Amino acid sequence: MSMNILGISCFYHDAAACLLQDGKITAAASEERFNRRKNSPLFPINAVNFCLQRGGLTAGEIDYVGFYEQPYLKFYRVLLSHLRAYPFSFKNFLATMPDWLRERLTLPLLLKNELGYEGEVFFIKHHLSHAASAFLVSPFEEAAILTADGVGEWATMALGAGKAGQIRMIKESHFPDSLGLFYTAITTYLGFEALNGEGKVMGLAGYGEPVYLEKLKEMVSVKPDGSLRLDQSFFGFNKGSRMYSGKLVRALGKERAPESKIEQRHCDIASSLQKFTEDVLIKAANNLYRETRLDKLCLAGGLFLNCLANNKILEHTPFKEIFVQPAAGDSGGALGVASYIYHSLLGKERNYVMEDACLGPDFSRTRIRRALVNAGINFREMEDGDLFKYAAGLILQDKIVGWFQGQMEFGPRALGNRSLLANPCNPGMKDILNSKVKKREPFRPYAPVVLEERADEFFRIKQPSPFMLIAGSVREEKAAVIPAVTHVDKTARVQTLSRKANPRLWQLIKEFEQLTGIPLLINTSFNLRGEPIVCTPEDAVSCFKRSRMDCLILDNCIAER
Amino acid sequence: MDTKKICERCVLPESRPGIWLDEEGVCNLCREYEKEKKDGKKGISLETEFTKMLRNYKSRGEYDCLVMCSGGKDSTAALYYMKKRYKLNPLAFMFDNGFETEDALENVKNAVEALGVDLVYFKSDFMSGMFSRLVKAGSGAVICHLCSLWYMDLTIKTAARYGISLVIAGWTKGQSREGIFPGCACDNAPEFSAMAEETGKFLDRYCKNDPRYKDFPRSMEEVLKRARKRQRCVVLSPHWFLPFEAETSLETIKKELGWKTPEQSYPAKTTNCGLNFLSVYLSLKHYGYTHYHAEMSRLIRQGALTREEALEALKVNFGAERLAPILKKLGCGPEDLAFGKESI
Repeated sequence: MSMNILGISCFYHDAAACLLQDGKITAAASEERFNRRKNSPLFPINAVNFCLQRGGLTAGEIDYVGFYEQPYLKFYRVLLSHLRAYPFSFKNFLATMPDWLRERLTLPLLLKNELGYEGEVFFIKHHLSHAASAFLVSPFEEAAILTADGVGEWATMALGAGKAGQIRMIKESHFPDSLGLFYTAITTYLGFEALNGEGKVMGLAGYGEPVYLEKLKEMVSVKPDGSLRLDQSFFGFNKGSRMYSGKLVRALGKERAPESKIEQRHCDIASSLQKFTEDVLIKAANNLYRETRLDKLCLAGGLFLNCLANNKILEHTPFKEIFVQPAAGDSGGALGVASYIYHSLLGKERNYVMEDACLGPDFSRTRIRRALVNAGINFREMEDGDLFKYAAGLILQDKIVGWFQGQMEFGPRALGNRSLLANPCNPGMKDILNSKVKKREPFRPYAPVVLEERADEFFRIKQPSPFMLIAGSVREEKAAVIPAVTHVDKTARVQTLSRKANPRLWQLIKEFEQLTGIPLLINTSFNLRGEPIVCTPEDAVSCFKRSRMDCLILDNCIAER
Repeated sequence: MDTKKICERCVLPESRPGIWLDEEGVCNLCREYEKEKKDGKKGISLETEFTKMLRNYKSRGEYDCLVMCSGGKDSTAALYYMKKRYKLNPLAFMFDNGFETEDALENVKNAVEALGVDLVYFKSDFMSGMFSRLVKAGSGAVICHLCSLWYMDLTIKTAARYGISLVIAGWTKGQSREGIFPGCACDNAPEFSAMAEETGKFLDRYCKNDPRYKDFPRSMEEVLKRARKRQRCVVLSPHWFLPFEAETSLETIKKELGWKTPEQSYPAKTTNCGLNFLSVYLSLKHYGYTHYHAEMSRLIRQGALTREEALEALKVNFGAERLAPILKKLGCGPEDLAFGKESI
């Protein structure tokens, strides 16, 4: 009899489910991909349904369910924070309480109602779930662990260490002193959406200089160990509709309205925020190294989706190697709690390393054909070898190729199974992608996927980056060769690709290399602006029809405009 | 045979008042589906929902559920899933109206033997008189509809006899998607409204005063109403909730249960009783389409089938020689179908 553990994260943002069978992750997916609501916080019933189907299980065959945080502890923090901020918090209090009372505090009842599951439910602290999500699936037998995000129950950043199947938490920072909330507050100040715009700020940072760094330091004091204290007079986390106060506006100038023009000042603030964040994380990581003397580091929490910061940690700390799993944000909590139950609570040995993010649904050729036919799209089928050659040729002609194959990736990055691929050599490719499909803000860079064996020729990067979570700097002599993936600050959010990890994409890039000598492509997520990445062939077809994508390749079926 | 213009998207012909085509040649049902999908009203049924219902309705007696088996691919797959995927102890129930084919009987026999499942086999020519009358009267009532009323009534009574609350059918996503209790979607669906009306009229005119058929249910609603008074029961199909394509289930039962495709069937590659050919012929004659057209049209809208696949499967693949022995068994002749005037 196998042991089946279902991990769940939900109710805040990026709801997800993960199935662990005998210590191996057999399925994991975010709810947004199914219900098509970006960053969906809802109970992940569709993701759970998928996980059980993938595992060939019914709810009655689940041994344990794990939830990625402790709701009562979090509720206590929320109540206390509202009380402290009363009467300014009253409106927020009224808005959030119904959700707490209806579902957040009654998860076992919800599991019974939704799934008919009546077994044991474990509630693991939010940052412990994050820590477990990184360490327990890492290749390291022993490692230091650093987690950081907005806030869990109380913790906002945590330092720990893992050995075999056990995790020891060493130190925590607590709400409201949160680097994640600070980043999000400035993100919203800059006119971007909370929990969705942080990556945009990271992109914007490349266009500025950190001239506001001292101003930011007035708002947040940082100790040498990386712990920090936010001057609450600049912020309003529970008080009203925005996360920052009038005092912050007076310090930094008028806030930017969403979708309005971006000025140099905004770029400088973004750059200062990025620099500030990197400095804090480097300090925290150095402190962690002093505490543990371990040379491997696992990172988790939404802040570590920041690939620039991850690279800086690698460059400016004694850690020799880092591991960031692809769902480093809250969705990964589902993975963490399931792993924690299996290894840390039940004491089972570790037998799995997360080398692959492709843990979501896949679809048969029959389903793909039907999706195309029913959408009235003409297509043809090609054998792999011919298809790769043909697709490489299209990319060289600056065509945008929608590339859909195999199991969907877990985590926010498209890593080659739900991707848009394009020519990295054309300096105008970013604009073409933006105008035809992505409709992104023009300042945002596109990322490269590069053959692992040739990555070093093009990028300075200290270790492979299979999940696109470590930025590298583009080598000076190559910047002009691959302008479409070279950001203004000469960095690139690199995905290194081994043949083993994704043989079909690897072969496609190899064909492109044959044509151009360049062993990389632009790889960006297969979606339209504001939508989750596509999940099904029908989603992909719909995206193709609603955009001006040139070519759609679903497994071996190819459709062109 | 009447060659009506069919919908550009599905395979239904215009058949007022229920079905009509717009200026683009798209039927009202496809338009309605499109609108509901756009409004987010067309979600998928999750398997978690099904397994939750299994827990609620699973019987506490010897058998967990009763599976309606026709020997066709869908009901055989349903039996397979109940036993293997959901690990229940099902009772297979086969109803033979006297026209079941050897292929169908063989498929059921193979399945129950491979799965180690008990089978109740019920054979009766009780309805032959009714069918004969239907043919001779030139009624628009649908043979399969009448048969399904009795079959369902009998199934629910049989389930009650064994203390079973959960009845499992092999209906596809293109057939009724409502849990058949508390309501049935078929009778009220526009595709079937004309057929259901004709069935009602036929039963009123020809069967009401016949002592043999005086208790015969007039509609599926009535079957359910009667059942509701007797027992707690739900009729569900796993195919509404499973993520597999029909081809996947077919491969599974071929491999695991030795299921065989019959030499001749309508639609192609299915298994249906002999009367089905006659029912199809009469439906095409009266309405220009059959309940299979309705089912496949729904599958097309859901994306589970293409229009081309449906058109291919729905090609009439049998002739008068296939109908002759069936008519003879019913005490009818080709003249009752006016073969001289029309050909199929």
